[in-house]
Amino acid sequence: MNRYNEHVLLVEDDAPIRNFIAFALQSEGFRCTPADTGHAALNLLLSEKVDLMLLDLGLPDLDGMEIIKRVREWSDMPILVVSARDQDKEKAAALDGGADDYLTKPFSATELLARVRVALRHLYKQRGLQTQTSLEVGGLSIDLKKRLVHLDGEELHVTPLEYSLLALFFKNIGKVLTTGYIIREVWGAGYGSDTQALRALMAGLRRKLEENPAKPRYIKTEIGVGYRLVDE
Amino acid sequence: MREKNLATMKTAVLHVVLTVLLLGAATAVGYLFRYLRFPETATVLVYLLAVLLVAWQAKGYLFGFLSSIIATFAYNYFFTEPHYTLEVRNPSYWITFTVMTVVAVITSTLTSHAKRSSQEAREKAAETKAVYNLTYRLSDAKNMQEITGVILGAISEYFYCTAELLDINESELPEYRHLKPLYVAPERDGGPPERKSSYVRLQKDVYADEAAWPILGRESVLGIIRIPKERALLMSEAERRLLRSMVETTAMAMERLREAEKNIKARELAEQERYRGNLLRAISHDLRTPLSGIIGTSEMLMAMTDESDPRHALIRDICTSADWLHAMVENILSLTRLDDGRLLLEKQPEAAEEVVDAAVNHVLRHAPEREIAVKTPEALLLVPMDATLIRQVLINLLDNALKHTAPEDELSVTVDAEGRFANFTVLDGGTGIAPDDLPNIFQPFYTTAAKQADAGRGIGLGLAICQAIVKAHGGAITARNRPDHTGAEFKFSLPLEAENEQV
Repeated sequence: MNRYNEHVLLVEDDAPIRNFIAFALQSEGFRCTPADTGHAALNLLLSEKVDLMLLDLGLPDLDGMEIIKRVREWSDMPILVVSARDQDKEKAAALDGGADDYLTKPFSATELLARVRVALRHLYKQRGLQTQTSLEVGGLSIDLKKRLVHLDGEELHVTPLEYSLLALFFKNIGKVLTTGYIIREVWGAGYGSDTQALRALMAGLRRKLEENPAKPRYIKTEIGVGYRLVDE
Repeated sequence: MREKNLATMKTAVLHVVLTVLLLGAATAVGYLFRYLRFPETATVLVYLLAVLLVAWQAKGYLFGFLSSIIATFAYNYFFTEPHYTLEVRNPSYWITFTVMTVVAVITSTLTSHAKRSSQEAREKAAETKAVYNLTYRLSDAKNMQEITGVILGAISEYFYCTAELLDINESELPEYRHLKPLYVAPERDGGPPERKSSYVRLQKDVYADEAAWPILGRESVLGIIRIPKERALLMSEAERRLLRSMVETTAMAMERLREAEKNIKARELAEQERYRGNLLRAISHDLRTPLSGIIGTSEMLMAMTDESDPRHALIRDICTSADWLHAMVENILSLTRLDDGRLLLEKQPEAAEEVVDAAVNHVLRHAPEREIAVKTPEALLLVPMDATLIRQVLINLLDNALKHTAPEDELSVTVDAEGRFANFTVLDGGTGIAPDDLPNIFQPFYTTAAKQADAGRGIGLGLAICQAIVKAHGGAITARNRPDHTGAEFKFSLPLEAENEQV
């Protein structure tokens, strides 16, 4: 039954939410250490080996962003942030600051567990990625060496910009990429934050990849935050 | 009018007595001169002096003119040969008489004229000073009580009479304010009218007589100042002018005060509104955390119990109710964002297909067994909008449609561009909207008339919020029953060009 034995650090100040998340994680076989303040979390990180952190952005003592920044100084462990729905800006800031994914309150246990699994898988893939030149998701594959994209076995013609966008997603499979991050990576740092060009590029790419661009299978939209290439 | 005539007569008699006395005195001095054997010209000059004094003391030109004539005749009668007759023996006297009359008339006229001018100047100066004093004191008045005190005080000071001020409020119910006069004994009639009917009657009298001076604002009558009738009849032109200036000054002060009061009220109202919005937002925000706990925990419990277990259904009820509460909280939060003023609308060009996808995904999370057809235009359609809020609109419309359809009914979202607008249409194949409900469907807290309030929960606020959000974007939302099929059609359109004046 215990398929996972990773250690999850759960930072959440609300006891009922902490209890149910801990319960859900433990029932899946994760080892879970709860912490109710930012300082407690940072202390735990010093004394224990932690594989993944679930972090509520609204902590009473420390800013969630501060914790992400400190952890990122020495660790690439997946960080999942938990926040309320109208905090799009904070979500994007957390993702840009190094968080891997986010969950919006209220969320179901199923959703939570799925995200945790994706984040862990992504971590292991990422660690072995340096040698991999070919990646695939469903019927979509990319050859990073030959710069080729295949869809359902057939070669797909993409523009250079579309290729860079797709390559960026494949290097971050399952991870939410903020619009700001994508623009910086694809167009360069001097481009500013004109989301219109990205929306147009994304629409063009989707019309090549997806059967129905309004119900995308591969690249999902995270409204107000960014995009994500699905993992499975 | 009788009082006025009486007063005029009194002054007239006074002037006649004065004239007789002065001319008599001149005659007496004339006799003295004759006894002392002074030349007759000295007597003529004394008469001229008397005429001058009469003209200086008396009012108007009449007494000056009359005394000139009388002086000539008196000189003729008393001092020219033969004495005590009007006969003249020496014709050279005719020249003396003529010159004397002409000089007397001219000097008396000039004197009267100078006197009148100086009096006018004095009145004007007094008036200016009075109005200046009033303005100065009124500018310090902080409320209606103080304004009333200042104006009524000024009236009793300058006109030596009692005065009343009737304050006509915006609510049209007048307030009566009296000030006990400084110089004149007890104040006149009645207390404040309490009912509106008495006010109407009162207004009629108040306007009817000349003792009432309406305080005219730019748009309406602000109030009425009354002085006793007897006093009003005795008023000179100058006094009327002064009172008119004072009333005008009062009108300006009252208007300024009302303007200030209006501003304060508006500010208080805005403050209250903001406070209410903040309170609502804080409550909604704080509700989210416990709701997340309830939803998560009940889902956990649901997963741990078998579906045949009666507890499973009970836990599902907890979960459904919590979900509904959560949707409500999100809607209220959207609403407070709009109430804050349109400044918080973060309009950005967004791809219509992405927003629709986000809404559909959100709705399907709670109803995974349903199918929602999505049609978007072939070309990318960028619509300026606050994506979070428009997603909320679509979620509300889709949730609503899910509630009013059976699982096998069709349900679709369509987006198309039409002219300068993007149309979003949510179509369902359910039972449709009852005709009675159609006109009220976007009213806040309106739930379908056919069902009990509890059965229709969820639609009450949701559609009202949809309308508020769409309107804030400069668009419009409509609801109707499909003409060709059963079911409802909700359609909203958003302008494709950002219209700045809408924001």
